[in-house]
Amino acid sequence: MLDGLVNTANLAKAFGLVFDPKTLAIICLSSFYGLFFGAIPGLTATMATALLVPVTFFMDPVPAIGAIIAATAMAIFSGDVPGVLLRIPGTPASAAYTDEAYAMTMKGQAELALGACLVFSVVGGLFGALALALIAPALAELALKFSTFEYFWLACLGLTCAVFVARGDPLKGIISLCFGLAVAQVGIDVVHGTPRFTFGSISLTGGIDLVPALVGFFAVPELIRNVTANHGRVEIVAQNIGSVFRGQWELFKRYPLNCFRGNLIGVLIGALPGAGADIAAWISYAVSKRFSKEKEKFGTGHPEGLVDAGAANNSALGGAWVPALVFGIPGDSITAIVIGVLYMKGMQPGPTVFINSQDLVYALFIVFFLANLLMIPFGWAMIKASRRILSVPREVLMPIILLFCVVGSFAIENTLFNVWVMLAMGIIGYLFEENGIPTAPAILGLVLGKMIEENFLLSMIKVGGDVTGLFGRPIGGTLGATTLAIWILPLAWLAWRRLGRGGHAT
Amino acid sequence: MKASLKTLIAGTALAVLATAGVAQAAWPERPVTIIVPAGAGGGTDGTARLLAKQLQDELKQPFNVVNNGQGGGIVGHTQIATARPDGYTLGIVYNYYQWKMLGQADINHTMFAPIAIYNVDPAALLVNVNSPFKTGKEAFDALKADASKYKIGCGGSCGGSWHIPNAELFIKYGIDPKKPVMVPSAGGALSNQDLASGGLDLAVGSLPEGKPLIEAGKLRPLYVVSSARQGAPFQDVPTAKEALGVDMEGGAFRLVAGPKGLPADIVSKLETTLEKIWKSEEFQNGMKQRNFGTKWLNSKDTVAFMQAHEASMTETMKALGLAK
Repeated sequence: MLDGLVNTANLAKAFGLVFDPKTLAIICLSSFYGLFFGAIPGLTATMATALLVPVTFFMDPVPAIGAIIAATAMAIFSGDVPGVLLRIPGTPASAAYTDEAYAMTMKGQAELALGACLVFSVVGGLFGALALALIAPALAELALKFSTFEYFWLACLGLTCAVFVARGDPLKGIISLCFGLAVAQVGIDVVHGTPRFTFGSISLTGGIDLVPALVGFFAVPELIRNVTANHGRVEIVAQNIGSVFRGQWELFKRYPLNCFRGNLIGVLIGALPGAGADIAAWISYAVSKRFSKEKEKFGTGHPEGLVDAGAANNSALGGAWVPALVFGIPGDSITAIVIGVLYMKGMQPGPTVFINSQDLVYALFIVFFLANLLMIPFGWAMIKASRRILSVPREVLMPIILLFCVVGSFAIENTLFNVWVMLAMGIIGYLFEENGIPTAPAILGLVLGKMIEENFLLSMIKVGGDVTGLFGRPIGGTLGATTLAIWILPLAWLAWRRLGRGGHAT
Repeated sequence: MKASLKTLIAGTALAVLATAGVAQAAWPERPVTIIVPAGAGGGTDGTARLLAKQLQDELKQPFNVVNNGQGGGIVGHTQIATARPDGYTLGIVYNYYQWKMLGQADINHTMFAPIAIYNVDPAALLVNVNSPFKTGKEAFDALKADASKYKIGCGGSCGGSWHIPNAELFIKYGIDPKKPVMVPSAGGALSNQDLASGGLDLAVGSLPEGKPLIEAGKLRPLYVVSSARQGAPFQDVPTAKEALGVDMEGGAFRLVAGPKGLPADIVSKLETTLEKIWKSEEFQNGMKQRNFGTKWLNSKDTVAFMQAHEASMTETMKALGLAK
């Protein structure tokens, strides 16, 4: 049955690419890097990806992408460890269940909590990889029928999602989004060749390079915070960590539904533009609590929510790659960076990547499975070494990270200008975070802004400026109607309710 | 012991002096920079790195590729032209005259010391496999009847390397090149994808860029703008002359150049070395792997080629109404 779906020659080639000793070594090294990065509070999986980019510059496509996949998968798991031991989430993706996990530690169940985090991270990661490998190629077949009209609507849907799923005040989400869209306008537009907001600077004609902007946006705020805020040393409560795998099978047998539900929510949320592992964890933890038979135990050190959310944040990683590969629309902030790397490696995201570079796409899937399997031994080692890792002095670490930010931004085009871009975006990112403005919509605006504008203008050229032409093709029309419905229906509902209430009052 | 050490130092010093004396005549005596006016990882970068590696093997000095893709390549080209003409800064020059015509930057052949053309990719015209046009003639006759009905992808920016040769063909066939709806894109891949999705009627581009979708049975090439047919797997694609009766060559080119005023002995040494490299199996295979066409023109012929490029650009851009 698979013969028709899988090109075995390319699959064999892909295995060859992944199991090349050099590639394997790079995957292992970046796994350690990811484990370390995830465990240090404040250093996120997105930041780990951003700092990896300049290094991947000197690699072939498969090791480059493999490095990112391995590092992010490990970092999302590893973020759980300080959560369990210190009650500080290592990455935002662990924040949803940090209190729960720490409560387990206080009950003397640190091993069980750490083990659950590891085992269900692996299960979630593998499920995400499976979903990616099955859904993406099928979706690509459909996406081959997409022209500029469809891409325009798809990007609009993506931006709409970004505002809806951002946690907190939607108004702040919109501010963030508009900032991203504004930055995306800088430079010569592809359609008419008009320079915009370049202020006569030749460096700005090419626009704001995505990679230094993202490095700045994700890495610098934490560096600034590290200087302004005082991180005291925290003592680790659990003294000896025993066998982390004991009791995990029982846990799985007790909560098989939770595990599956977490996996599914993770993939779906991951695939939604703008929402990544952190939101997947929050939602699946909430779902777990809502449908649990033992709601009252939540918050007292009960492993049930850990099963759901621990799986969800890792499966979200795979889910996020689906729209990124198929449409070039990032599912989360990690894949926003990944898209830039794919371009640099000549794997232009879009349905044609499954035709042009099928071997590389297969290799990518294999790396996804491999990285999640490697997580079992590496994660175990990480838990054993956690005390050492958590006591790395920040005053040594942070300058090194800043150095990497600067060198990396410079290396992309060999221009000092990009270093300034990185620093400027970093300061803006810091101001955003300090004021509770979410950063994910800005990044989505930056990535999707060009896409929306280009596809709109190209569509207008094709139909001679007739806006109804945006609905002229079956798929495009459907997507357009859906988008408009999402925009209008909530407003209409609100208006109807207001009017209705007004009617009662009088 | 002491004496022998002294002798050794003296000997070494002499040797250094001697080699330094010789080396003044023998370029290159230190690492050479090759400026690539495009981002790392792209086509131009790939060919430059291929050349750089072999130049390094031949001339025993590092040849370092430095990417500068700012301003769509304008900045990198300017850097090559304004570098010190001492042979330690060279660069890759590609289709540049559209910038002059569009009023964006005055870059022309007099600013460079051209050394050799090593790559030319002829332009082509592509349709969706479901298109009613089976041959170039059918498409051109339809365009001649009413060109404004058709949407044509530019395979990148309109007025670029693929559009101009095709527009020249339109003019020679009696089609008004201003009439069809020309649709730009950020690169050939996007244009071809749009063609495959049914969003365009025709797309100009190149055979290597269209290869994956042609082989997947989504696109069909109608002709290639070259006086001879291309090698496998495109041996069945007719030339413009076979398809339309117009003998013409045109497309994208890449050449090695230094800044104007580069000493003649360095130009000739580079020319000989590059010719040797170009003929080597390693280079030819490397280019083939990356789907690039190979063509060799020496320094003199390259200058003539650049002049012809500028003349044909001027004429066609004016006819298209794009010249500023």
